[in-house]
Amino acid sequence: MSFKANFFDGKTSRTHAASITASSVNWKIRYLDEKSIPVEVSWNPQKIKKSDVYTKGLVAFTYGDTFPFQRIESTDDSFINYINNSHEHLSSTIDVMLHKSKWRSILFLLTGILTIGILTYFYVIPTVATSFATKLSEKNVIDFGNYIFRVISVDLKMNEEASRELQNFVDEMDIESEFPLDIYVAQSEELNAFALSGGKIVVFSSLIEKIQTKEQLAALIGHEVSHIENRHVLKNIARNFGGAIFTSVLFGDINGATTILMDNAHLFSQMSFTRGLEKEADMYGLEIMRKNKLDLNGMPELFEILKKESPLDVPTYLSNHPMLKDRIVYTKRIAESQGNIVANETLESKWQAIKAAL
Amino acid sequence: MELLSQRSKVKANLNYLGEGTEFAIIYLKNILLTLLSLGLYYPWAKVEILKYHYQSTELDQARFSFHATGKEVFKGFIKIYIVVILLYGFLFYAIQTQNQVLMIAAISIFYLFLILVVPFAIHGAVRYRSSRSSWKGIHFKYLGDRTEFFWLYMKGALLTIFTLGIYGAWFHVEIRKYIFSHLRFGNLSFNFKGTGSDLFVINLKFIILFYLTLGIYSFWYYRNLVRFYVDNTSITQNGKEVKFKTNMEAGDVFELLFINGLLIVFTLGLATPWVTVRTLNFFFRFLEIEGDLDTNRIQQASYDDFDDAVGDDLMDFFDFDLL
Repeated sequence: MSFKANFFDGKTSRTHAASITASSVNWKIRYLDEKSIPVEVSWNPQKIKKSDVYTKGLVAFTYGDTFPFQRIESTDDSFINYINNSHEHLSSTIDVMLHKSKWRSILFLLTGILTIGILTYFYVIPTVATSFATKLSEKNVIDFGNYIFRVISVDLKMNEEASRELQNFVDEMDIESEFPLDIYVAQSEELNAFALSGGKIVVFSSLIEKIQTKEQLAALIGHEVSHIENRHVLKNIARNFGGAIFTSVLFGDINGATTILMDNAHLFSQMSFTRGLEKEADMYGLEIMRKNKLDLNGMPELFEILKKESPLDVPTYLSNHPMLKDRIVYTKRIAESQGNIVANETLESKWQAIKAAL
Repeated sequence: MELLSQRSKVKANLNYLGEGTEFAIIYLKNILLTLLSLGLYYPWAKVEILKYHYQSTELDQARFSFHATGKEVFKGFIKIYIVVILLYGFLFYAIQTQNQVLMIAAISIFYLFLILVVPFAIHGAVRYRSSRSSWKGIHFKYLGDRTEFFWLYMKGALLTIFTLGIYGAWFHVEIRKYIFSHLRFGNLSFNFKGTGSDLFVINLKFIILFYLTLGIYSFWYYRNLVRFYVDNTSITQNGKEVKFKTNMEAGDVFELLFINGLLIVFTLGLATPWVTVRTLNFFFRFLEIEGDLDTNRIQQASYDDFDDAVGDDLMDFFDFDLL
């Protein structure tokens, strides 16, 4: 079969109108040179390189292992058809198919991107992140927490006496923890408390001032200990980091991931967890209280205090937590079924010591 | 007489023939593959998209061609990531030790690297792109000297810092002049004859008029910039100069950007491939080659088989773009 094409010999930019006789064994390219003398060039199909991407109504090839390379370009439809049907290594069946059904292909590709995007973002990344956070060694978790704490603590004014008393209080409680618990009271007007991975808990002084009973304090501690024990901070960071990498890959902006690395460590004190993780922390906190035979009503009472103190303006503490109203309901229900409450005089005296130290 | 009749009498104009739906398929296919491969496919995606734009650009009924391969670009990225990971590793290690000297050293090395690597990146990128670009089988070639370019860049960068940015316009022009004067297409050479003061005036007028006209001046600014870059560029063929020219007006710029903006906003970004095609089409529509460029008599020169894509990848990494 014979097709029309433009031939470039690689020596000059002259366009030679050529006719190509193609078979699976060789391609014969015939054209007239500058002096109208017929020239014939032979190409071995195995050595032809498809030089470019799919473009409708156009095929282009380069040839040769050494410079200068010969090239042909053709807009001859019969040649394009011939290439698509007879030379598998010079055409891509998938591309031809995609470009045949234009809008359907676009729809298909968009659906694919969306499905994979959603699956990755909401399923693969959280699963991988959680498994990474769970498998990280105890030492690494502690090191990481210490690193964050070093950065954050520069801006915190610690009340050392109150910190000591609160530490005594927590030590007196029966808590099984993978990490040694290290408790601080920071002087602040903010109603806030946060836990860092590896065992550090920081409670702000004004929050303790609002708390009225040791049970309420135990509820707060139980909740924060749960964040530490379940490695919630790490899980969240891994998830956010994974999400950031994912979106930066999707939008072709590799810098996005590095920005996260450079981000201010202070954000960790404002960490917001998902509702699921918060509920888990509430339940685990109640378990700690039950084990200590403390009145579980401390938990809903703590929430009542927070609810009263944080009206419409966005509360700093528990901002992304489940609705306080719901939490009061579900913790109260659990508290009602509690049987065994024992008065704990030692803990009570430690609680009084904290109050005195503020 | 025979020589004259061989000449192309048709005015040589560049055209961009890409189509929105066709490019959308290529663009979306590559995003999908990049996603599926967790980003590993990105180099191949980048190359295929560039190949499409090259192949859609036509001059004298022949298409441009981009010969880069995903493999070359991939190797470049691997090299960059190894260095970046080492640098970050050292930085985090230094912070971990809390040793002041080590921390300062690590931060210094980190930023010094980021600053010093830029001229090498530009050099490498221009050389790689040139080496991999051809038209009618004739290859581009960049003959710049890396060391010379590095010192030219450093001198300009320092002067720009010391003059609080004022020298920036001259710096920019110096770099462009150097690159263009060392660029070859077969036996054709390029020249950029814009001056720093012209660019400075364009920028100054923009700063003054932007606020006075509540931003409307931006369209004239964009037109002035394009004209400055295009109208000052020329090609020399056998001692004869051929000029580029653009006749774009502010109203054209407004139309382009306004419709692009609408397309992006109302499709939540889905129209990106169509917007890309529109923009390229727009740019080439106004681009003219003035004078007689004998498109049939360009001689092939020696080939620079430069397969190191590190510079090109670095530009990508820093989110810079050539041109």
